[in-house]
Amino acid sequence: MYRSQRLSLRYYAAAVTLFGVMIVFGLLSALYYLYPSLLFNVFNFSTSKIMHIDTLVIWLLMAFLGAVYWYLPKELGREVEGMWLAELTFWVFCAVVIVVAAVFIFVQYGPATDFTLWFINQGRKYVEAPRWATIGIVVVMLVFAYNVVATCVKAHRMTGIMWVLALDLIPLVLVYLDAFSYDRNMSTDLYWWWWLVHMWVESTWEVLIGCVMALVLMDVMGTSRRIVETWLYIEVMLVLGAGILGLGHHYFWIGTPQYWLSIGGFFSALEPLPLLGMVIHAVYDAGAHRLKTTNRPAFFWITTEAFLNFIGAGIWGFMMTLPQINLFTHGTQWTVSHGHFAFYGAYVCGVIAVFYVAKQKTSGAAYLDGKAWKWAYGLLNIGMVGMVMGLLLAGMAQAFFGRAIGGSTLMAFTTASENPWFVSGMYARMLFGLMFAAGYVALVYDLVTSPRRIATPALQPEPA
Amino acid sequence: MTPESLLETAVLLGLFVLAGGGYGGLYSVGRAAGRPALIRAGRACWVGALAIAVVIAAATPLGVGWKLLILVSALVYAVIPPVTWRYLERTHSDEGLRP
Amino acid sequence: MSSEIADTVRAGVGGDLADPVFWRAGAIATTAVMLVILAFLTIDSYRYISVGGLNVPKYDVINQHIGYEFNWSRHAAVPVIGGPEPLFGHKVTEAEAADLILKGKFVIQSRACMDCHTFFGNGAYYGPDLTKSWLDPAWPQIWMPMTGKTTREDAMVEFLMRPDKYPTWDRRMPNLRLTEAEAHAAVAYLKWLSAIDTNGFPANFGQAGK
Ligand code: HEC
Ligand code: HEM
Ligand code: HEM
Ligand SMILES: [Fe+2]
Repeated sequence: MYRSQRLSLRYYAAAVTLFGVMIVFGLLSALYYLYPSLLFNVFNFSTSKIMHIDTLVIWLLMAFLGAVYWYLPKELGREVEGMWLAELTFWVFCAVVIVVAAVFIFVQYGPATDFTLWFINQGRKYVEAPRWATIGIVVVMLVFAYNVVATCVKAHRMTGIMWVLALDLIPLVLVYLDAFSYDRNMSTDLYWWWWLVHMWVESTWEVLIGCVMALVLMDVMGTSRRIVETWLYIEVMLVLGAGILGLGHHYFWIGTPQYWLSIGGFFSALEPLPLLGMVIHAVYDAGAHRLKTTNRPAFFWITTEAFLNFIGAGIWGFMMTLPQINLFTHGTQWTVSHGHFAFYGAYVCGVIAVFYVAKQKTSGAAYLDGKAWKWAYGLLNIGMVGMVMGLLLAGMAQAFFGRAIGGSTLMAFTTASENPWFVSGMYARMLFGLMFAAGYVALVYDLVTSPRRIATPALQPEPA
Repeated sequence: MTPESLLETAVLLGLFVLAGGGYGGLYSVGRAAGRPALIRAGRACWVGALAIAVVIAAATPLGVGWKLLILVSALVYAVIPPVTWRYLERTHSDEGLRP
Repeated sequence: MSSEIADTVRAGVGGDLADPVFWRAGAIATTAVMLVILAFLTIDSYRYISVGGLNVPKYDVINQHIGYEFNWSRHAAVPVIGGPEPLFGHKVTEAEAADLILKGKFVIQSRACMDCHTFFGNGAYYGPDLTKSWLDPAWPQIWMPMTGKTTREDAMVEFLMRPDKYPTWDRRMPNLRLTEAEAHAAVAYLKWLSAIDTNGFPANFGQAGK
């Protein structure tokens, strides 16, 4: 095993741990909706939700870095350049996360000064981490980019996947720079904030996971490089072709000109099409390589990724993306429903597949299968689908009673939130959230226990 | 947009993409498994998608432009599965990787 | 490198669909075109979203009365800037207003209001949307009587400093230890925010029962 693959396992371990932290704070955040007096004035909903969504971003990022560190030496046939830096930044990354989490939990917020933005909380959704930590994350990403590029240069080799990956890192880091922004004008503030959020999840991350999935496909399904790279280019073309101006679906109501209503609606209508193409591709690969795969869990999670990406992002996104609809659904639990489903389908499923690739390698199992992964698979998927259904119900009640009928005032918001449909949706979310958490426990159990039939126990499993 | 038509329209839009995706999913599974019945079920899904598009055009308060867009996408949904599949077969046969 | 470019061009023109080079050309071209369009749209959007632009008023709009009415030609509700109505009964200069709004934004970020509330519908969904909070009938109907204040802005300050004392239902807002100056700035911010043209979001605001 390459040194960078051992680093990769460390990244996976950190990612899985933070995934757990995220679920704990997700459940806590959901509990406030049912018991609003919970920890009132001591530990408020806002803090819990910050922990939930910030750990989400960080653990997915860590898993992506891990996946690239895993495949880089394989792809280029040599050890990653600058490993000592990469290893150092891993610990820096972890330290930053721990300190930020401690400050969020114990300090929570500060006075209305620059000091607060630098050291406590920036209060912008998804990028609440204080500025000093943001610098840390930029450094981590720059070192990562250096590792990728320097290894390519040293290897005198550049594959198509590596080109896409390396070029994708540029916008990935560039839009993240908005995490430093302080802008008193809410309209321009949100304008650029959406470059960060939308361009991450619907453009640069999609391309990144596309590269990772391409590498996994070659590895797990034995698809040829030429095919995988052709698909990657097609995918990049369609995803960026629709996704870049799809940004417009966030520019309906923030003070931006009216023409964004047409642009945003039009390009988001295109966004489900490449996702459908990926479903068909996944089915084709599954049919062609089903008998050859030696890693059943990875195989299932990859196929599921394609389907749930289409459903969570494509269907759930399109349902509320036309401006006439979005006027009423915007910023309700409907959004939350889509956010959960899309993130889970597009990224979580793919990342779990990557975990299983590493598990097979470290345990040396010639054939990976068993019972525990099926439990994890079932509980996580049913839990997530149940959650988003509950949230959809709640969101519909809000759009109907709170927005269309009630007219969006405090009174309307309150009435909708006390509506039995909304309340049932919140209970359903909680129950299925617990199921999801049980699935997480099964997943961790399956990842850390060694498989029963070990054919060639070549290496000791790393503590994952 | 009345409160009722808001929910109806949103649900129709969701079902529309679902039916379009149902075609892609069933068609490709049918092809991969060599089961013509599934391919037929997939085509039925597409007819469903078209029907939903027509209902959206006829009976919802969406703007004319959006209705046209939905109708055109219904046609696009018709070609994606077979075209994608043929393309996949072609690229894979170049590599001699077909099962 | 130049041979690669030549390959790309050849495949792009020749259009061999099974050739990755063709799609690579397509991906680069599509992305470039979309980015250029986005750049132009961004430049144009700034005419609307900069302060003093077509949709976002100058900060001293807080000296004015602000309404929100349905506009038939726009088919959407739009803010209506009326006659003088200085905030806290005290007219401010443009520079003073800008400082107040700057401070207000610091309050909003330092207390992470956006992790409970939404602004223009962006943020979190535990608390009500604050886009038009300045115009919410809850101030005259519920909070002015409850706090014993005679103006909307005084009631808002009192509420923001001690929200846990004035709940309207069981999902309360916690006390985030705003100083009086901070609460003033936050109220100014909310008043300015309500004057931004948001293409009609939120719809039917305050129309229930009318
Ligand atoms: C922990 C969640 C939370 C945080 C953080 C929070 N709020 Fe609230 N806020 C609420 C809730 C819940 C209500 C509804 C209270 C009620 O009706 O009793 C509310 C109500 C309000 C209202 C009245 C809304 C209206 O339109 O009638 C305003 C204004 C407000 N908050 C401003 C702020 C500001 C400014 C901040 C940041 C400094 C903030 N809130 C932070 C939860 C929160
Ligand atoms: C990988 C794919 C995607 C992911 C991970 C994703 C994730 C998200 C998230 C997290 C939000 C909430 C943002 C916030 O306010 O904090 C959101 C909003 C939104 N998404 Fe997506 N999304 C994806 C794809 C799509 C697609 C394909 C569409 C359209 C067809 C779409 C349409 C929307 C719209 C319209 C909103 C705004 C919701 C509102 O008005 O409140 N998304 N998305
Ligand atoms: C036990 C499971 C989970 C529970 C109970 C839960 C609960 C919550 C809650 C209560 C919120 C706040 C929404 C609001 O403002 O009202 C939230 C936001 C969010 N969660 Fe989760 N969550 C869970 C798992 C996940 C997972 C697995 C993901 C990613 C795949 C995720 C991604 C998000 C995102 C992106 C947001 C912000 C979305 C938005 O506000 O629109 N959550 N979650
Ligand atoms: Fe988006």
